[in-house]
Amino acid sequence: MPLEQPASDAEIFTIERVFDASPELMWDVCTKAEHLGQWFGPPGTTVKVRTLDLKPGGVFLYGMEMPGGVTMWGKWVFREIDAPRSLAYVVSFCTEDGTPVRHPMMPLWPLEVLAVQEFFAEGGKTRMKSRSWPIHATAEERAVFTAGHASMQMGFSGAWMQLDAYLARMKG
Amino acid sequence: MPELHDSLSQTLTALADPTRRAILARLSHGEASVTELAEPFEMSLPAVSKHLKVLEKAGLISRSREAQWRPCKLETAPLQAVDVWLGDYRKMWEERLDRLDAYLKTLKPTGELN
Repeated sequence: MPLEQPASDAEIFTIERVFDASPELMWDVCTKAEHLGQWFGPPGTTVKVRTLDLKPGGVFLYGMEMPGGVTMWGKWVFREIDAPRSLAYVVSFCTEDGTPVRHPMMPLWPLEVLAVQEFFAEGGKTRMKSRSWPIHATAEERAVFTAGHASMQMGFSGAWMQLDAYLARMKG
Repeated sequence: MPELHDSLSQTLTALADPTRRAILARLSHGEASVTELAEPFEMSLPAVSKHLKVLEKAGLISRSREAQWRPCKLETAPLQAVDVWLGDYRKMWEERLDRLDAYLKTLKPTGELN
């Protein structure tokens, strides 16, 4: 199944960085449980990898145990795998058994975000580029996602306008 | 639903109105009086004053007590708080990539000179 496309380019969250590692090592640290557990979670959290099945349709189900003892669960469902060049997966917050759920702090965050991660060899190093956008989401959820990563450079238009629906819901 | 932090909530509510955002956009070019701010809108002065009160309460504008015409001025501190709130997703990613970078350094074969 081809990857779902974003409704507009403005919805795509892009982040990229050059790492001092080969594409093969980058691939390993981004797809292997023993590596992911070492850097993936915020400081103070312990990452618990429940499953990591690297194949199309396979699931990476992980828990992040917070300092207070609460565990936030999340999962990726792999869509496309082309080692060591690119990886596409759908990210969701979920319950411990993998059922997608809303984030308690972000009730209008899209349930599913498609992420495409690419690795480019660059002078002995590797440029990692990650692009993500909501899929199967309502206009309101897409607006919240866009507002969540839009830069203040957009000033008072753009993302701000899109916050209206979200704020109305918060007050309602 | 968990409540937003009070002052942030107040800022967001103030920003939720397009007229108030237009007022702020105008003030980003410099101070202005109530009459000047009312000009582009088909609104009475009391209606504009009402919006200004909301913005003032949210700390988004201040009004000079000095001059007779009491100019309004944009205050950016609450906007920075909103930026932090909105910027969390990018920040989360930036921090994650920082940790990845630090982790990769620990994987370097021993004896390698950097």
